[in-house]
Amino acid sequence: MPEKLSPFHIAVLVYMTQSGIVIFTLPRSLADYFGTNGWLVLIPCLLLSSFNIYLITLVFQLGKGRSIFEIMEQSVTKVILYPFYLGLTAVWLVFGCMIGKKYVLLFQMLAFPTTNPMLFKLAIDVLAFMMLIKGIYKMSNAVTLFFWMTIWMFGLLLWFFPSFRWARFTPFILHGGHDQVKGAMEVYAAYLGYELSILLLPYVNKNKSKKSMAAIYAGNAFLSFVYICLSLICFGFFGPGQLKKLLYPVLDLLAYIQLPFIERLENLLYGFFLFLVLVTVVMYWWAAQLSIQRIVPKVKTPVLLVILLGISYCISFVPKTLDQVNVWITNLGYVVTGIAFVLPLLLIMILLIQRKGGASHV
Amino acid sequence: MFKLRLIPAILLLLLLAGCKSDERILEKLGMVQTASYDLMDDKRLKVTYCVPVTDPTSKVRRELMTTVSDSLKSARLQFSLQTDLKVVSGQVRETLYGIKLAKEGLGDYIDTLLRDPSIALGVRVTVVEGDAGDLLSKTFKSHNDTGRYITHLLDKESYGNSVPATTLYEFSRDFNDDGIDPVAPIVKDGGDKVVIEGVAMFQEDRYVMRIPAEDGIIFALFRDDLRQGEAAINLGEKDGRPVVVMLSSLLNKRKIKVHQLAGGRFKVDIYASIQGSVLEYTGEEKINESKARHELEQKISEYITAKADKMVEQMQEHNVDSLGIGSYVRNGLNYKEWTSLNWKEVYPEIEVKCHTKVLIKDYGKYS
Repeated sequence: MPEKLSPFHIAVLVYMTQSGIVIFTLPRSLADYFGTNGWLVLIPCLLLSSFNIYLITLVFQLGKGRSIFEIMEQSVTKVILYPFYLGLTAVWLVFGCMIGKKYVLLFQMLAFPTTNPMLFKLAIDVLAFMMLIKGIYKMSNAVTLFFWMTIWMFGLLLWFFPSFRWARFTPFILHGGHDQVKGAMEVYAAYLGYELSILLLPYVNKNKSKKSMAAIYAGNAFLSFVYICLSLICFGFFGPGQLKKLLYPVLDLLAYIQLPFIERLENLLYGFFLFLVLVTVVMYWWAAQLSIQRIVPKVKTPVLLVILLGISYCISFVPKTLDQVNVWITNLGYVVTGIAFVLPLLLIMILLIQRKGGASHV
Repeated sequence: MFKLRLIPAILLLLLLAGCKSDERILEKLGMVQTASYDLMDDKRLKVTYCVPVTDPTSKVRRELMTTVSDSLKSARLQFSLQTDLKVVSGQVRETLYGIKLAKEGLGDYIDTLLRDPSIALGVRVTVVEGDAGDLLSKTFKSHNDTGRYITHLLDKESYGNSVPATTLYEFSRDFNDDGIDPVAPIVKDGGDKVVIEGVAMFQEDRYVMRIPAEDGIIFALFRDDLRQGEAAINLGEKDGRPVVVMLSSLLNKRKIKVHQLAGGRFKVDIYASIQGSVLEYTGEEKINESKARHELEQKISEYITAKADKMVEQMQEHNVDSLGIGSYVRNGLNYKEWTSLNWKEVYPEIEVKCHTKVLIKDYGKYS
């Protein structure tokens, strides 16, 4: 019997998958697209993502914890499924890869600006590969360790309290923004990652299924809590006017932390964000690996991973600048958001049809 | 499996060789600690960098570089031609701006500094009366490094709130906020010392007026809450001798109340509630008697109120909202009212009244 994930591990896994590179730009996106008190937008995002998680829990209940691939393969022909799997693999693989590349390009603004970014990208890919070959159970153990290694940074927000002023918030609700639809998609992308929990369903301990489902909500809620605290601090510390001008307000926050004997602590702190980004990348690649494995089940996992990562590494050569990577991430983000909603809906439909068609298969 | 594990290990080893082009060797770096910027008559920029010399065998403690260039960053390229060190700005702690440049506006320069990821938000912004480059180049007796001397001087004084601790963060934050104008400390060459001259007040990014250093604490009391400070209060004369009371360990709570009057006018009340210890009193009253002490509190608050009222009047005359009254007016309006209000036109006309409440917490250990 394969080892099962505990509810706590699921919550941590969901939170760690969700938090990643977007954290650096989120407060700015909120201020820029939504203007004053833009942080309020995080609340509907939390509700929407919670609704999406509700759909995922429905899949779990209706499918009795079976893997989504089994559910689909029971009722849909492979002629349709294989291209679909291929599509999922492509989107998840490239999305993960672009997140990794963005981290590298941002890192190079701070350090090693002229080194070839693909060298750093390779280092991250090697790390990701080493995690991926271990399988989801060991990955989740590592992720929990990473969680404890990074969560203390949340306490750094206390540093900004002395300069925090409520007066900077202004009483105006969402005034002075622009392109709100695009902004909403961009902000919602900060929540992405929870949708991969649909792939965790077969690893859920069936004796603790209720707690495990609650854990997905908990991971998402904790992320929202972190986002809201961070955005509140940013709005009260910088004010919306200044936030609009800062491209990476969280980098500036980190750079503001100064100790008498050391300047530019952000270089050190930025390193810790690698863990958050790495987990996001690894989880998307894990999802890509699962779906491609349905097409080529006989290929050994390490070999398959080498091929997948090789392809993704080649693709990551294409965008060269931060702006180009952003365009890729934004567009792929739309697709991933679409998958997040459509996939559980499709599965629920299939499951309902299977139910109607008689209990013979179940 | 063993071979598979070996591949990542070898790859990681190979990766270590990749960063050669970004190698930084501490001894070969010229880490700028203080930079000064002045506007020349031909509108070009005079930039002076002060780099501490770390070589223990060297007699000099700092290396100075000066050049005239068109922009902040092109100056660095010219400095590179003057020195055997690689000039980097990651350790900049202080930026000094000549008064002429400050009058023209610092916005563009602050913009350049903030864009550079190697420069942190905690870099100080200071205005220099006269030429900033000349001040930085001068060596003061008992201070080998003028840049560091100025930084320490301002650090210490801003801790006591007699001058604002203005860094790139505070300056750009207030510059980008529509309800407050930035301020910065202003220093000058006082012969054998660097002297803090006062607080420079900006209209958006342009230096417009100043208040003298001795009034700095009064300004601070009405700008924000305080946790530290000292104020010497002159209560007039008695028998030809000045009566001074020294208020130490100040704690202050500030409040701003905005009243909207008919005809779109505003009345603003600023309250400062001050607590402190009296460590010096040269008057004749017995301050250990509570009645006399209360009278003294009253006199102190009258003195502070009068000073503050005059200061606000000056600020209104020069149309600088350094106390951030605008942000409180804004917070009392709705969005449409605020955007249709031209705060710069309204501000000089509003009625501002300062109120002070003083509480003497203790009066030392001698009656």
